[in-house]
Amino acid sequence: MAKIDLDNMLEKIKNTQWSLSDVDWDAPGAELITPEQWPKLKAFMADLMWIEHVGARAFAAMAKKAPDDTLRQIYTYFHAEEQRHANAEMALMKRWGMLEDGELPEPNNNLRLVIEWLDRFADDQPVYVLGTVVPMLEIALDGALCKFLLDTVDDPVCHQAFELINGDEARHLGVGFSVMEMQGHGKTYIELIRMTAQLMDPRLILGIASYFPLLNKMRDNIVEMGLPEEKLYEAMRKFEKIGGRTGDGRRNPWFQIIKHHGRFVVDRKKRFYHAPIDALVKVADVIPKKAFPAVPSWVKEITYHPTA
Amino acid sequence: MKNNQPLAQQQPPADALIIGAGFAGLGTAIRLQQQGIRNITILERSDDVGGTWRDNQYPGAACDIPSNLYSFSFAQNPNWSRSFSGSREILEYIHHLVNHFNLRQYIRFNQNVSNLAWDQDKGLWQATTTDGDVFSGRTTVMAQGPLSNPGWPGIVGIEDFEGKKLHSAAWDHDYDLKGKRIAVIGTGASAIQIVPELAKCADKLTVFQRTPPWIMPRPDFTTPDWNKTLFRKAPVSQTAVRKALYLAHESMALAVIWNSPLTRFAERLGRWHLRKQVPDRWLRRQLTPDYRMGCKRILVSNDYYPALQKPNTKLITWPIDRISENGIRTVEGIEHQFDCIVFATGFEVSNAGTPFPITGIGGRSLNEEWKRGAQAYKSINVSGYPNLFFTFGPNSGPGHNSALVYMESQMDYIVRSIRTIQSLKLKALDVRQSAQDDHNRSIQSRLAKTNWNSGCQSWYLTEDGFNATMYPGFATQYAKQMADLELEDYRLLAEEAASETV
Repeated sequence: MAKIDLDNMLEKIKNTQWSLSDVDWDAPGAELITPEQWPKLKAFMADLMWIEHVGARAFAAMAKKAPDDTLRQIYTYFHAEEQRHANAEMALMKRWGMLEDGELPEPNNNLRLVIEWLDRFADDQPVYVLGTVVPMLEIALDGALCKFLLDTVDDPVCHQAFELINGDEARHLGVGFSVMEMQGHGKTYIELIRMTAQLMDPRLILGIASYFPLLNKMRDNIVEMGLPEEKLYEAMRKFEKIGGRTGDGRRNPWFQIIKHHGRFVVDRKKRFYHAPIDALVKVADVIPKKAFPAVPSWVKEITYHPTA
Repeated sequence: MKNNQPLAQQQPPADALIIGAGFAGLGTAIRLQQQGIRNITILERSDDVGGTWRDNQYPGAACDIPSNLYSFSFAQNPNWSRSFSGSREILEYIHHLVNHFNLRQYIRFNQNVSNLAWDQDKGLWQATTTDGDVFSGRTTVMAQGPLSNPGWPGIVGIEDFEGKKLHSAAWDHDYDLKGKRIAVIGTGASAIQIVPELAKCADKLTVFQRTPPWIMPRPDFTTPDWNKTLFRKAPVSQTAVRKALYLAHESMALAVIWNSPLTRFAERLGRWHLRKQVPDRWLRRQLTPDYRMGCKRILVSNDYYPALQKPNTKLITWPIDRISENGIRTVEGIEHQFDCIVFATGFEVSNAGTPFPITGIGGRSLNEEWKRGAQAYKSINVSGYPNLFFTFGPNSGPGHNSALVYMESQMDYIVRSIRTIQSLKLKALDVRQSAQDDHNRSIQSRLAKTNWNSGCQSWYLTEDGFNATMYPGFATQYAKQMADLELEDYRLLAEEAASETV
């Protein structure tokens, strides 16, 4: 993938917009969901929708910190587009009878922790921290989960919606990897020192403490749904491959960290990593819902209604 | 339209031909009249005086500058009902000026100038109207207003919308807003005044924001009767209040124009105002500006933030994708449907061009010369366009003080120039290009250090980022700049020496 011209990309983004009303959510095909699929799919879609939604919030934070106006506008669009994906996925859930009128799916506890962290600290993070983590989440979770969905669900409306969603995601990844390379273009030593300082920021440590278990939790969910975890790992390796394709990309210290972390995640034999993180997942699972503060108001902005 | 067409009427030349019967045009006429110059023609495109204040009568329209300062120093009004008056009361004040100074005799209503050309032989400006009438003047004052034409946003599909479209600067008072689903596009000075009013009557009100403005508390109060009586009986007390307000606004320049510790203080005040009025963290984040205060116009309001939090009101910050038949599609994939869209999107700004063709010496076109950003000498004259005066010309915009204070400096400069033209029996008073260039070099180097040029996009800048709008200094500095007519900066052409400049 060649380095992209961000101004052209912004124009392209503006010219390729779609909305929920472009899809006929009442078209035939919903009956193709089998009764066995239904409960698993419900849990799966809820997770997927929440990942899109927290991705949206991360882009909102990146828009605040973008180094130039073009990138700021791009991230502002991506923020809204991720929200659109969450809205479309909710519309699918509604179509499949998985939501009551006005119901919002419950996020799992790991996602609740991530939501809490994003709401409190994401805006204070350097743009390149989120700029590296978000492509990883997109390529791994979005990529693997979407693939699984399209392999197992025959409903043509689902395929239509995901064709639109994947078109957006391809641009998100294109920009994501390009920005990672921009970050790598410079004095590695200085960036390393800077990164070390940033890593000691307790707010970032809290972020890591919610990001690591989220990946393991999603792995567990995938296994539970019958998807070979190898599919998730394949997607994560893609991050390493694309992110590291150029010298600039490899020089980005954040890429190196996320890449090495990815290697731990995909290797269950790394007990020194998985034992404590799995323990954290278990701890998160037992946090009573009451212990969480009220969800931030941005969470309530999602909707399955194509019109308002 | 050509001048010799049968319908065209040629009027006898005026000593001063004024285009526009708003504050600037009327104020100039008053000042000329006070100096004994009465051969004045004012061309007004509408059927009433008032300019901005006639056009901007949307619900909640008001001035952001206290009325005691947003009025002429030579015609103070002791009866302002509030500290910040509404647009109707300001329009009444303008009507009072017209009656009190007997200005109606000069005004030709429904005369929309479409072309202005310098006739070198006769030493006259010829203004042709859309009806084909031609008015001439030995001197011409451009008082058409820098912000006089509604600006519509470049959103795709704007013509597809089948509901009602309203513009803040051309309000349709016959349209009943009660119980309607209303959208407001824009969050600038007009929008923050309209929104609280619409929130009172709309069934559903949705405000579409691209960039949040800095909003400061508005010290608005009803003027007590004793205060009006005091101002009436002892006008010196009103002059003192005006002076105090002037100095208070002058001090704000330190926060608004330049980046200083006072800018930080003012930003803190703005954030405090937001925190006090908006408890929700996410809404507060959406409303927090991420550019330096002063870069765009600073707004004042006490009721905008509360209005946004009413149950029938919602703020949308998603980018707008397009306008459809039924409403507005935003990038989060939802079509927001409305009965009416209010465009509070401001005005066409002519900081790169002229409102109609202006032709100077030797057929030169000002529109061409200003294409890449307008430039003038002291904001008021342009070389090659003799005897032509601009009110709110290039780099005369105030960011921190009353526009009328700047306007008075311009009006006095114009009167002084016209008197000079008359007393020296000049055919043409034309500023030298070198003087204009020197002035602009200095202005632009001073502008480079201001908040307006600190990186955000605003209507102050052309598309290329050239600031042809604002004056980089205190109102007092501007008044000093305009205090002297420095004749050495001009080429003077005497009436009898028809072909040669001195």
